[in-house]
Amino acid sequence: MLQRSFVKEGLARRALQCTARRNLTIPFLSTLPQKAGGVVGTPNDAYHPPAVDKMHGSYHWDFERALAVAMVPLVTIPLAAGGSISTVADSLLASVLLGHVYIGFQSCIIDYIPARVYGKNHNYAMYLLTLGSVFSALGIYKLETEENGIIGVLSRLWTADRESQESKKD
Amino acid sequence: MLLQLGLNGCYRGVVRPSVIARASRTLGKRFNSQAVKTTFEKEHEILVAQRGNRPVSPHLTIYQPQLTWYLSSLHRITGVILGSGFFAVTIAFGISTLFGLGLNTENLKNYYKEKVPAWADWTAKGTAAYFFAFHFGNGIRHLIWDTGKELTIKGVNRTGIVVLALTAIGGTALLFK
Amino acid sequence: MNGLVKQRVAGGILRRGLATASQTPRLKTFKIYRWNPDKPAEKPRLQSFQVDLDDCGPMVLDALLKIKDQQDSSLTLRRSCREGICGSCAMNIGGRNTLACLCKIDQDHKKETKIYPLPHMYIIKDLVPDLTNFYQQYKSIQPYLQRSTFPADGKEVLQSVADRKKLDGLYECILCACCSTACPSYWWNQEQYLGPAVLMQAYRWLVDSRDQAGAIRKNMLQNSMSLYRCHTIMNCTRTCPKGLNPGLAIAEIKKAIATD
Repeated sequence: MLQRSFVKEGLARRALQCTARRNLTIPFLSTLPQKAGGVVGTPNDAYHPPAVDKMHGSYHWDFERALAVAMVPLVTIPLAAGGSISTVADSLLASVLLGHVYIGFQSCIIDYIPARVYGKNHNYAMYLLTLGSVFSALGIYKLETEENGIIGVLSRLWTADRESQESKKD
Repeated sequence: MLLQLGLNGCYRGVVRPSVIARASRTLGKRFNSQAVKTTFEKEHEILVAQRGNRPVSPHLTIYQPQLTWYLSSLHRITGVILGSGFFAVTIAFGISTLFGLGLNTENLKNYYKEKVPAWADWTAKGTAAYFFAFHFGNGIRHLIWDTGKELTIKGVNRTGIVVLALTAIGGTALLFK
Repeated sequence: MNGLVKQRVAGGILRRGLATASQTPRLKTFKIYRWNPDKPAEKPRLQSFQVDLDDCGPMVLDALLKIKDQQDSSLTLRRSCREGICGSCAMNIGGRNTLACLCKIDQDHKKETKIYPLPHMYIIKDLVPDLTNFYQQYKSIQPYLQRSTFPADGKEVLQSVADRKKLDGLYECILCACCSTACPSYWWNQEQYLGPAVLMQAYRWLVDSRDQAGAIRKNMLQNSMSLYRCHTIMNCTRTCPKGLNPGLAIAEIKKAIATD
């Protein structure tokens, strides 16, 4: 709902006064020519679904749910432990979280930057997400091997202000 | 709907064009009028030209505020913002590792402590705490729905209110942790 | 009929008798979306009409027909059965998708009521959206019984009471498109996402014990767009004028094909 909806909201309000000829789009991305009135043919021409692809169908959905279910205990553990957890638990959390965030962002791209409208820009958005995730994975590796993990960073930043107050008191 | 489908069926072959033509010729004679000859293709051309002019009716801006789509939007917005935070930190560490920039938890914390003013710190923490509490609670709500439970309007409202209440409590608890 | 007239007259007298000041008509403003395809350069706009609630039927459709009858005959809308069984008069009333014939007029005449066509649809004229895409999608799910084998005695295909019961809450759908056009996912991707109404019908044929094309039906949904753009927003169930639950039906489809 993010970028597209914000863009849409602004434009839609204007659209009531001006004519919204076509579907509203993200202004800085080039789009493909669209069907007149969003449709081709008559009501008797059946819509043709995309090719069968379970990797983007039920398997994808199952994987998405599996990650989401796994997130529940992985997030609860550091919450219950007050921030100090083992490297194994932290690595698991970080990797599953990366997958969860990746799939979430992917879903946003499919929803708001669909290939049907944006053509190659859809692919570029996906490549960008994948590239970012590779860097992210590298960062997680660094955090788990040489630092205190992702929870370590979070708890340090979370309590940074308290430290400063204490140091001032000293 | 059946009517519209049925009519189109007529034009497209159930009733042969010759039959229509003959019928209209007879009618034309009786009422002394001139039938306009046309084909399905020509009619369709006009239709496609009209379709190109059609405006899209208003949507987001006019739709009634409802718990259903407001919480769903919030779920996505919180997810994207929390995810962006996660990406920002881990990608920073990834790039630093790759190019040897020497970023570590300690100097990141020092940077944050020195450069980020108190109001920004509280804003960031408040956002993170409440957004996380909401996304976590609503995520569990979605997982319950995926099993087919609580998927009625009553269930949606009930679980929605529970999630909002837990967000208020959990978010506040996290913020002052 | 006679009784109804008497009742209405009596109601009028009663109202007039009770409130001394209400000799003035209870004029309510309806703001209605207008767009004329004959003047495509003109922008869509909201036009105000005033209707005396004491001289109008109780439903929004009554008010619309009264306006069309007495004030502006060019106001264009679909209607047919006026009792919620044909699904023609689906529109967005007061921000919510519903059937004009089943939607009571808010009797507070000081509040205006806004009437738009179904959201995010291409508009043919005024309150009439183009449903071609919707029908094409309905056709694509093959909404009819498919079997390869038939009973040897040449008689009907039997179904148990329990199996028949599974179709309750599904077969009643009148395809008014209220739910699909209430769905934000359908707003953004209606050319590829099938939307709640059509998916509920897909499920209706999927669970029918007499149908044998289940594997094909499930396979048709195995891609990222047709089914999985549903994010369980539940606007569909919230808005259904027939009180059905498309959101649950979609969740059941997801469950059914999860192990495929």
